[in-house]
Amino acid sequence: MIKLEGPWIEKYRPKTLEEIVGQEHIIPRLKRYVEQKSMPNLMFTGPAGVGKTTAALALAKEILGENWRQNFLELNASDARGIDTVRTNIKNFCRLKPIGAPFRIIFLDEVDNMTKDAQHALRREMEMYTKTAAFILSCNYSSRIIEPLQSRCAIFRFLPLKGHQIKERLEHIAKNEKLEYETTALDIIAYFAEGDLRKAINILQAAASLQEKISEDTIYEVISRARPKDVRRMIKTAIEGQFMDARNILREIMILQGVSGEDMIDQIYQEISRLAMEGSLEPETYIKFIDSIGEYDFRIREGANPRIQLEALLTTFLKE
Amino acid sequence: MSWTEKYRPKTFKEMAGNKKAIEEIKEWIKAWKEEGPQPPLLLIGPPGTGKTTLAHIIGSHFSDKLELNASDKRSYDALINIIGETSTTKSLFNNNLKLIILDEVDGIHGNEDRGGVRAVKKIIKESKHPIVLTANDPYSKKLQTIKPSCRVINIRKAHPNSIVAYLKKICKEEGIEADPKILRELAKRSHGDLRSAINDLEAIARGEKKIGAELLEAGEKDTFPSLFDAIRAILKSKNIRHIKEAMQIDEDPQLLLEFTAENIPREYEKPHEIKKAYDHISRADIFFGRATQTRDYIYWRYASDHIGVGVALSKDETYRKFTRYAGPGSFQLLGRTRAKRQLIEDLAEKISKKLHISKRVAISTFPYLQIILEDEKTAQETKRYLELTSEEFKILRGKRKPRKSKKTKTEKVEKEDPPKQKEKQTTLLQFK
Repeated sequence: MIKLEGPWIEKYRPKTLEEIVGQEHIIPRLKRYVEQKSMPNLMFTGPAGVGKTTAALALAKEILGENWRQNFLELNASDARGIDTVRTNIKNFCRLKPIGAPFRIIFLDEVDNMTKDAQHALRREMEMYTKTAAFILSCNYSSRIIEPLQSRCAIFRFLPLKGHQIKERLEHIAKNEKLEYETTALDIIAYFAEGDLRKAINILQAAASLQEKISEDTIYEVISRARPKDVRRMIKTAIEGQFMDARNILREIMILQGVSGEDMIDQIYQEISRLAMEGSLEPETYIKFIDSIGEYDFRIREGANPRIQLEALLTTFLKE
Repeated sequence: MSWTEKYRPKTFKEMAGNKKAIEEIKEWIKAWKEEGPQPPLLLIGPPGTGKTTLAHIIGSHFSDKLELNASDKRSYDALINIIGETSTTKSLFNNNLKLIILDEVDGIHGNEDRGGVRAVKKIIKESKHPIVLTANDPYSKKLQTIKPSCRVINIRKAHPNSIVAYLKKICKEEGIEADPKILRELAKRSHGDLRSAINDLEAIARGEKKIGAELLEAGEKDTFPSLFDAIRAILKSKNIRHIKEAMQIDEDPQLLLEFTAENIPREYEKPHEIKKAYDHISRADIFFGRATQTRDYIYWRYASDHIGVGVALSKDETYRKFTRYAGPGSFQLLGRTRAKRQLIEDLAEKISKKLHISKRVAISTFPYLQIILEDEKTAQETKRYLELTSEEFKILRGKRKPRKSKKTKTEKVEKEDPPKQKEKQTTLLQFK
């Protein structure tokens, strides 16, 4: 039977710590844990697509040995079914003794999306099972993690990948897949990926799916097609003063396409930049809008309902 | 007696609309009487479309009826005690059939009505008497286990014309001379909910000899009467005391925020007013965020003042106009798209497990996957790898037609276009 190959983001996920791209300040320290066959609780913090999950998986494989699967639990803290499910899973997993490994590892993703209460509960959980299990907590923003949790973990700050690091990895994949490409095409991917290797690989595979030979234009086509539809129309409608219409577009994008508040802010930022570069926005207006976007990016993180915040952001675009 | 009771249809003939459903129901009754037990009827439809009324009319075709509705406490024991015996014991005479009506079964609450769904299933299984169940939400999880053993009949909203006709009949009976315009407006506002249309009519017409279009403001249709009063106060008044009093309602403050935000641009016309008001909404949301983060609900009071007084003071002066307020559009959108969103959610969950990413990240990779899947070979492989059902696969792939072969084999002529390339590079730099 031929082994099925998943999307490249999974197919080319590094299997070992050695293979991981970048993060030179982190990998040697993780390797030391492998040598010592023990590790404290860890916290991986950093933006998306820089290797947090990959590092956790690779570390687990190397430190737990061949039985790593039975001794490794991967959970998402922002699971819709709630923190109680997460806690029950942890409890059930930790009750059992490690099988053929020195201890067990629990990898908990998106801890920054947990409420402070839930984080306190998690702290108790971590203390209860110190003998049998180690935790790897992962988050985008460590500032949203309560102090007691941070102080119980060794903290590793993952950095956005550099352009040349992303490019090297893309070249490796391209070689393996026998892709034909223009070198400048990879530069453009690296530029748009903004340090996020997962995004870069997705763009590459999408481009490979479109054209025999990947050119700059292929990349531009992918980027423009992968953009959530209607963001530009929404912004223009708001600028024209049609707030209710713009608000409806926003709701449709977020509710129907399931786009998150953070992604929405990204898209609005990029679209406003494009409008300004095309000369469709006065420089003065542009900088005013950018300031609002920044303000509402901040408010989304503080607030309860990202959609409401984005509706409010749209009002700041209204022509007076 | 309220008009909704007084003018509740007593026979199938008096019902407004749903002719086909009624035919099906009549057949079911006939089959019960002539051929013996039939699967229970499950009437599904939006509020005010006559499900309960239908159930009672059905009851009048049997020798007796027994009704339980959502406001009753329906724990397992309670249900079995009240219905269990009736449903299993049947007198020797075959014509002595009692109709069991279980109203709003999707309203059975998870915790309080522990085992409620189980009890309903048990009754369905054991009952020797006819059963009618009603429900609002066709996608309710609770219904999924009950549905297969029932005959499902969809009850639709009444057409505005049939509502107007019904209201006319009431006015005639009551001896009221009504402006047709007002009846049409009431029908329109009710969105197919006959019950609310009758309630509205009663509110403006009871005890009157004549009703004209000028009365429209009084009987606004609202699902949340006190909520709409609060919103009216916020948007129309600038008097702090008046606003704060109107806001003393027993509703979730975040719901109040949604309703207020929804109606800001309906009432306020000047962009700077909308901006200012929405800024208060945004500030209020931040306090809600703080409350959730810290579990310290003292922050709610600040949110509340932003929503109320803050939004109220954002207008230059009160608009002298009649505004039709509405419920949050996002809620309607959520309701309308529930089934589709559930599919996307399930798909995201599946992919997140396979690819070690969160659901949010999974959704953000959909656009790329969509392009990747345009290549037929990759598509089939990915489908198997992710173990996608055909339906999920269709969602992910979108409407675009896949290409048969991998990549276009035709040699693409290399278009060397250095100036353009250069231009793009510089644009990128500016972009940064």
